[in-house]
Amino acid sequence: AGFIKSPLSQKRLTQDSVELYCEAIGNPIPEIQWWFEGNDPNETYAQLWDGARQDRVKINATYNLHSTSTISIANLTGDDSGMYECRASNDPDRNHLSKSPKVKWIRSQANVFVIERPEITAQVTESSGKLILSCNMSGPHPTITGHKWIHKEKILEQDENPGAFTSYTIDGTREEHSGIYECVYEANPQIKGQVNISVAPQVTAYKASEHGNEGDTGVLTCKNPSFPAVTTWSWYKSGHGLLENASGRYIIKSSGNKTELRILKLDIEQDTGDYFCNGTNSFGTGDATVNLRVRSRLAALWPFLGIVAEVLVLVTIIFIYEKRRKPDEVPDDDDGGSAPLKSNATNHKDKNVRQRNAN
Amino acid sequence: PAPAEAGRAPGPPDGGWGWVVLFGAFVSIGFAYAFPKGLAIFFKEIQDFFGTSYSEIAWVSSITLATTYGAGPISSVLVSRYGSRPVVMFGGLLCGVGMISAAFCTSILQLYICVGFITGFGLALNLQPSVIIIGKYFLKRRPLANGLAMAGSPVMLCTLAPLNQFLFENFGWRGSFLILGAILLNCCVAGALFRPIGASPALVKTLETEEGKDALKGKTTEDGPMESKPEEEGGKDCFEKINQYLDFSLFKHRGFLIYLIGNVLMFLGFFAPIVFLAPYAKHTGIDEYSAAFLLSILALVDMVARPTTGIIANSRWVRPRIQYFFSFAIAFNGACHLLCPLASSYTGLMVYSSFFGLAFGMVCAMLFETLMDLVGAARFTSAVGLVTIAECCTILLGPPVGGILIDTFGDYKYMFIKCGTVMVLAGTFLFIMNYYNYRMLAKEEKERKTKEEDPKSVRTEDEGKKNWNKDSTQDGPELEPLREKGEGVKKETNG
Repeated sequence: AGFIKSPLSQKRLTQDSVELYCEAIGNPIPEIQWWFEGNDPNETYAQLWDGARQDRVKINATYNLHSTSTISIANLTGDDSGMYECRASNDPDRNHLSKSPKVKWIRSQANVFVIERPEITAQVTESSGKLILSCNMSGPHPTITGHKWIHKEKILEQDENPGAFTSYTIDGTREEHSGIYECVYEANPQIKGQVNISVAPQVTAYKASEHGNEGDTGVLTCKNPSFPAVTTWSWYKSGHGLLENASGRYIIKSSGNKTELRILKLDIEQDTGDYFCNGTNSFGTGDATVNLRVRSRLAALWPFLGIVAEVLVLVTIIFIYEKRRKPDEVPDDDDGGSAPLKSNATNHKDKNVRQRNAN
Repeated sequence: PAPAEAGRAPGPPDGGWGWVVLFGAFVSIGFAYAFPKGLAIFFKEIQDFFGTSYSEIAWVSSITLATTYGAGPISSVLVSRYGSRPVVMFGGLLCGVGMISAAFCTSILQLYICVGFITGFGLALNLQPSVIIIGKYFLKRRPLANGLAMAGSPVMLCTLAPLNQFLFENFGWRGSFLILGAILLNCCVAGALFRPIGASPALVKTLETEEGKDALKGKTTEDGPMESKPEEEGGKDCFEKINQYLDFSLFKHRGFLIYLIGNVLMFLGFFAPIVFLAPYAKHTGIDEYSAAFLLSILALVDMVARPTTGIIANSRWVRPRIQYFFSFAIAFNGACHLLCPLASSYTGLMVYSSFFGLAFGMVCAMLFETLMDLVGAARFTSAVGLVTIAECCTILLGPPVGGILIDTFGDYKYMFIKCGTVMVLAGTFLFIMNYYNYRMLAKEEKERKTKEEDPKSVRTEDEGKKNWNKDSTQDGPELEPLREKGEGVKKETNG
């Protein structure tokens, strides 16, 4: 048996997770075990099982063409620091309690360092139309080689300064730029802090004025693009109070950033009017107004009939006018047509001249 | 009948009822060109309603445009047979029916059929006859008439765009389609104005066939005047029957071929810049409303440019050399596109839009006038049908090819360069070939004049045929109808 891939030593912060990967080959296929020795001087190697350490340890092994095993430990603490050993053997007697195996277990080691997570103070300050986000790292920390600011998976700013303090400035107000911002310290391991700009819901309507046809289903939509998400949405109709989901003809579908009010079988009298959508989160509430207009099914019919009538009238007038003038216009094509055939005129030029003069 | 007509009316009236017909053509052409573009306002709503992608909706426009151009020959055949008026009225009816049924559609496929095919076909039946009848009513003032009639397109577009927006807000897309269907019925009114002039086409054909086998187009003999023609399918070859209405001998006509090749080439780069002007403006950072305003500038300049070009083309100095003016307009268009990538600021784009509007209007105003000038009013009916179906392919290819260029290179300038180059090439080609054509025509004119002095040669049938051919290729607008009538007389007496 032999190792194809050995586990790598890593540095991690507390509350992080770590994954070690091991691959071995042999005939027959070897078995892989994980063993751990802590940093205490009197600690010895002990085997790790799937579910150990209050279910923080997970071992995933496959034994197909060769053996692979992945061990992952979640929510690291300082006690998880130490030496992790990947052991493989394909000796049939390897686990025998009395016999000792002919072939020893081959071992591959990786050192896992769990470093105390340094505290990061995140702050948002507003001054003169600008927002200043800042992160300050306190306590012992590894060497910093640079900083990055990330928002919605896009890098906003980065530098290569070694300081424990980093800041990022945005032009605008909290309401315009709410969301989750990450300050990332480039070090071994990478340390991330989070700065939240939280505001009350900035609720807006998709369309301030909606139309629907009588009998159809009308859809009114409000959205909240700000952070954090809305926890409760509610809809009101002016003069009707709160609209309940699945009451009568109303269906309300809501999510953290959008809510939809569907009205079935629109009625011109009852459903036309203003609707208010209200969104609440832990920082406040916000609302918007949507105006609904219900069109009668036949609304388009009157202009249509009007125009068709106009077309018919015009066409009739034109044809009557033409019939009235027809006596002047009867050029008697037959006569004209037969004339040249009958004649034996040979002097074409003369004929032309004659005709021209006739004009 | 032609000489008889000359006896009653002095050829095309060039005025009088002609102005009323011009107004009708203005409306009809306006609808035909502007309507498919105006529909774009409804697309977003329809897209949401049917849950389709944007490209599936865009097919509606493409199918309408394709049918409007592709059905050209059918339109020409119908006009040859029935005259302009019934065809336009039927076309208007078809458009109306198409849009009204579109108001009740329940799937995108039905929209393709109702708006795309039916309305598109109706618009095709509107477009061709309107252009044809201008040629019948105007001769001396024909370029002016063409320019004024083609001005219908930008005027209608400017009216339809806000109108569609208004209808959409008040009635939703279904109600709007219903009302638009009614509005399209007004094409019937325009058609009603197209009072027939000249001998009825059936009569002309009858007289020609009465001459028997000597007839120019080689039709089979028929006995009896009116009934024989359309009903008799029996002894006739299908090709000959089509040839009766659609003159394929045009493909031997030098001027026609020049026009066809030049125009087919030109259309490859004609429409793409308009389609991509607004996206290009947005791409350079201009906001949506200003980008839309660029198109408005284009339309306004276009509106003014078309009648003005008509007036210029009608003037004594330009009219005999109208083909050169046309080639110049095309090359000017191309030059504008080539210079466009240099304009990066908003003012630069505004200047580009104005010049583009000017160039676009100039080309459109003379589009059909030059064909009429080359082929003559008699054969224009068939010519326009054949030309539109050939242009159909390149018109449809133009914007997608431009789109591919933009997507591949990520830069709009290659599309402008491609369009500019194509149009400059087309313009140069037309210029050179028309110069050659003018010289050949002058030569033929000279030969004809010497033959005319000699009375013996005009007796033979062959000679008559050759002269008839030469007549059709004659330019020199003043002399054309009189010549034709003269030759017509010769032919009939020979028969």
